[in-house]
Amino acid sequence: MGLTDSLKYYWNVKAMGQPFLHWQRRQAERNPKVSSRWRTDILSPPLRIGARTKELVSRHYLEGRYASGHRPVAWVTSGGPVEILQALGFYVLYPENHGALCGARRAVIDISSEAENSGYSIDICSYARTDIGSVLSGKTPVGRLPKPDLLLACTNICQTVLHWYRVLARHFKVPLILIDTPFVYTKASDHALKYVKKQLENSIPICERVAARTLDYRRLKEVIKLSKDAAELWLEIIGRGRHRPAPISVFDQFIHMAPIVEMRGKKETVDFYAALLKELDENISRGIGAVRNERKRLLWDNLPIWYRLRYLAENLGEHGISVVASTYTNAWGELAPLMNQEKPLESMARTYIYPILNQGTKYKLDTMKRMVEEFQLDGVILHSDRSCKPYSIGQIDQRNKLIQEYGIPALLLEADHDDPRAYSEEQVASRLASFVEMLDD
Amino acid sequence: MKIAALGIDVGSTTVKMTAVNAAGEMLWHHLETVDPRVEKQVDSFLNKLQDDVDSLKDIPLIATGYGRNLVHQAVKKVTEITCHAKGVYHQLGRGGTLVDIGGQDSKAIVIGDQGQVIDFAMNDKCAAGTGRFLEHSAARMQVPIAEMGSVALSAKEEVAISSTCTVFAESEIISMIAHGVAVEPILMGLHRSLIRRVVAMVRSVGLVPPLLLSGGVVKNPAIRKVIEEETKEKVFLPEHPQLMGAYGAALFALKMIE
Amino acid sequence: MQMTIPSRKEVIKDIKKRKGLVAAVLPIHYSRALLRTFDIYPIELWGPPKVDVSLGGTHLQTYVCSIVHNALSFLKMGALNVADLLLIPHTCDSLQGLASILIDLIKPEQAIFPLYLPRGQREDDLTFLADELHSLYAQLSDFTGKHPSDEDLLAAIKREEMSDLLMAKLYKKKQLMGINNIDFYRLIRSREYLPAEQFSDLADEALQTSGEPIQGIPIILSGIVPEPMEVLSTIDEMNGEVVADDLACCGRRLYEPGTGTDPFRRMAERIIYAPPDPTRGNSIEERVKYLTGMAQNTGAKGIIFYDVKFCEPELFDLPELRNALKEVGLASINVEVNINNPLPHQVATRIGAFLEMLDS
Repeated sequence: MGLTDSLKYYWNVKAMGQPFLHWQRRQAERNPKVSSRWRTDILSPPLRIGARTKELVSRHYLEGRYASGHRPVAWVTSGGPVEILQALGFYVLYPENHGALCGARRAVIDISSEAENSGYSIDICSYARTDIGSVLSGKTPVGRLPKPDLLLACTNICQTVLHWYRVLARHFKVPLILIDTPFVYTKASDHALKYVKKQLENSIPICERVAARTLDYRRLKEVIKLSKDAAELWLEIIGRGRHRPAPISVFDQFIHMAPIVEMRGKKETVDFYAALLKELDENISRGIGAVRNERKRLLWDNLPIWYRLRYLAENLGEHGISVVASTYTNAWGELAPLMNQEKPLESMARTYIYPILNQGTKYKLDTMKRMVEEFQLDGVILHSDRSCKPYSIGQIDQRNKLIQEYGIPALLLEADHDDPRAYSEEQVASRLASFVEMLDD
Repeated sequence: MKIAALGIDVGSTTVKMTAVNAAGEMLWHHLETVDPRVEKQVDSFLNKLQDDVDSLKDIPLIATGYGRNLVHQAVKKVTEITCHAKGVYHQLGRGGTLVDIGGQDSKAIVIGDQGQVIDFAMNDKCAAGTGRFLEHSAARMQVPIAEMGSVALSAKEEVAISSTCTVFAESEIISMIAHGVAVEPILMGLHRSLIRRVVAMVRSVGLVPPLLLSGGVVKNPAIRKVIEEETKEKVFLPEHPQLMGAYGAALFALKMIE
Repeated sequence: MQMTIPSRKEVIKDIKKRKGLVAAVLPIHYSRALLRTFDIYPIELWGPPKVDVSLGGTHLQTYVCSIVHNALSFLKMGALNVADLLLIPHTCDSLQGLASILIDLIKPEQAIFPLYLPRGQREDDLTFLADELHSLYAQLSDFTGKHPSDEDLLAAIKREEMSDLLMAKLYKKKQLMGINNIDFYRLIRSREYLPAEQFSDLADEALQTSGEPIQGIPIILSGIVPEPMEVLSTIDEMNGEVVADDLACCGRRLYEPGTGTDPFRRMAERIIYAPPDPTRGNSIEERVKYLTGMAQNTGAKGIIFYDVKFCEPELFDLPELRNALKEVGLASINVEVNINNPLPHQVATRIGAFLEMLDS
């Protein structure tokens, strides 16, 4: 790590960037402005926490911009065990989160084309195409991404990530740590848990070598505790959707989930979610819902359609429909009880083998049914995501079972989480319209 | 007329035949809409040619194109990739990157300095990268195919068509028309969308200048303009862009007797 | 060369006559020996091509590949009623999904056994796979009521190892046998359903024949499965000679004999150290090295990447792989097919043009 890089980092991040972002947030908080395009007739004004979310995310990418040479940098899959890296002081970047950000900023077609022009098929995951396109061309809406010193791919969300990280490993010529998490058809076997734990253990010396420091187990325990605390708060936040009207919609959750994905194991993340929870409780006591005239409540299954969040919120909100819960945002909270800082590696093995995406289609169906009951929902929208086979395969039968066996109205919506070229607004609009009519019948 | 060899290109929409002399110059050519009974059609082509020449005895014929295996009069079959490369190289006298946009598929062929194929790519998996994409959409807007390019070029502005799927693009167009967008900017957007797909394919083989164009679609002036904008390369056209496959086949036939 | 290869139907009839059980096995890697010790005969299911896909389409989205669509359609048609169980190796996200919806939601009559394949080649991966095979042993034991001994297992393993060695010999002798591509691959692919001893007999017979050596344009075929098989006769017609392959159903399963006397470890070793395969997590470097070596040993001039549409494990590696091969002077093309359709003429044209390019 170089002195010049560290000086640059302190100057740009600590001395200039952070105070500016903080000032910007204070301004926004003191003077909350609602964009003239915000449909205040349908939706309540955006949550105040938004200014802080923006500060956190911007700061994260700002740190990334100047991280190279100052801190070790790791690129990690979204479900990856990040605690060891955090405890070793890595700057951790999540290409999937960056992909989502590109989606929300409508930059995907441009960036992904760079990968497609180099021969990457349009049939591979749009997050991967966006990331590879960004790597090949340097294009990103956040200024600059730091090059990785280490890659970590965990197969607990899909096998796609490993193929994708193999490409990154070849491009950057840096070590790739694989944490392979056998798929849980019904229950994780003992030998599978042992296997994951062993891989976690064996990853430590590699991480230490890249970071050029030794892992402090006390610090690891602290990080795991912070991860657990943030995940528990996130679960509580999601749970506030049980109130009528729901104080937060999934479209808000999709925005405010960034820290729980990319800043797990940090104190500021815990503080952030404590503040969000407080704001929601205030809104609940004042009877403020995310959708002004909440008549019906829905569940969202699968990833968001990042480039159409606002459109979907308004389109449904217009009919008094609030989408209040999602199996996807729930996934970042539901594992909190499995974390245990007193048994760091053992509990990490368990936590990282059990995400919803690494479990069978029955578990997903049961989760949907349970959430519909707990949140008192009127129906389910299943986003059939062309780019995410592990999440999407099974949805046709899940939808049929929801309707036929549980009497829950359900709609399958074909799209892609990041690539607008696989999305037809006309088809989506007409499907939503008939679903809404059905709910009202 | 002293002809030495013949080439025929049976495409998805048209059949083209050319005749060359011993020096490889194109002396005769004929083009017709494709008939499902290809063999009979080839016979009628040969009869037409018979009127103009002394004898067709021992004149070799090579077939290329989508229906090449249906031409039983041919002594040999060669793919359209190899034939297009040969034809264009011979006519323009240089290698480079040939882009051929046809009704059924589009291709990018890197031609070496001896006229040989160095690399190639084809888009045939989906209609959005082919001439069909434009024809389909133009029909939807009731613009005659022959005028599509000039109508597009008359646009003062352009709208972005994001869908890469023909079906999705169609619903996108319907929605634009419903929102009162004029035909010209939509057509221009469609050209851009098609060419971006084609250019992506060209980049996948690596663009070696000059950029050469062939195929029936190049008669459309908007195609040429947009492709120049998107690649920032000047485009070269052979005299008969539609005949390059048949011409290349004839040149291969000529080589057989040499 | 004239050879009589028994059909799948005949083989299944034979098995039933012997009171053996039939396992329908999905791609790619598993241990045949393990099944055989329970008197279970594996009949592999690579698609199959050309079935009525509307049946699978009521459960699967259109962006799932045709191999998975067809397998499910085949099952729903009742064509797998002869199978007593289904073994579904964890090859990719789509096969994972298929196994999961079968177990949880569709629930066919047959018992479903998933098998997780680790994505690395480390000591831990080997240990895990041995454990996983052990666990499959326990499940099959429950299913059949049988408890084969270690000796039984080792005998079955050695029988499979012998078959694999003969298969490797067939590849080495292919050009001297005067056999065309389509006939050669009919023979090789009979390993997908013939019991090892029967395949070994067939291979022995084939190895003793010789014919006019074939001198086509030497190429390597890479991908999952050469379906529709017309692709091979198309290559024959265009004077191409497949001198080696990197196909998941064939060359990627040229397993080396294992070592040691622990049968589970030995079965695991054979899979873990098999030729590089993206579905088992091999790196792009390993694949480049393997393919370059293959081309050097066989004199291949080019590689056809023959892929099933939507197959992510194959598609991700392609650009880097092809660039690296180009650097060492190996030309390649990539074609994509849906195994349910007849071979599109454009694919035939592309392969033809590629061979013309290599020949010039």
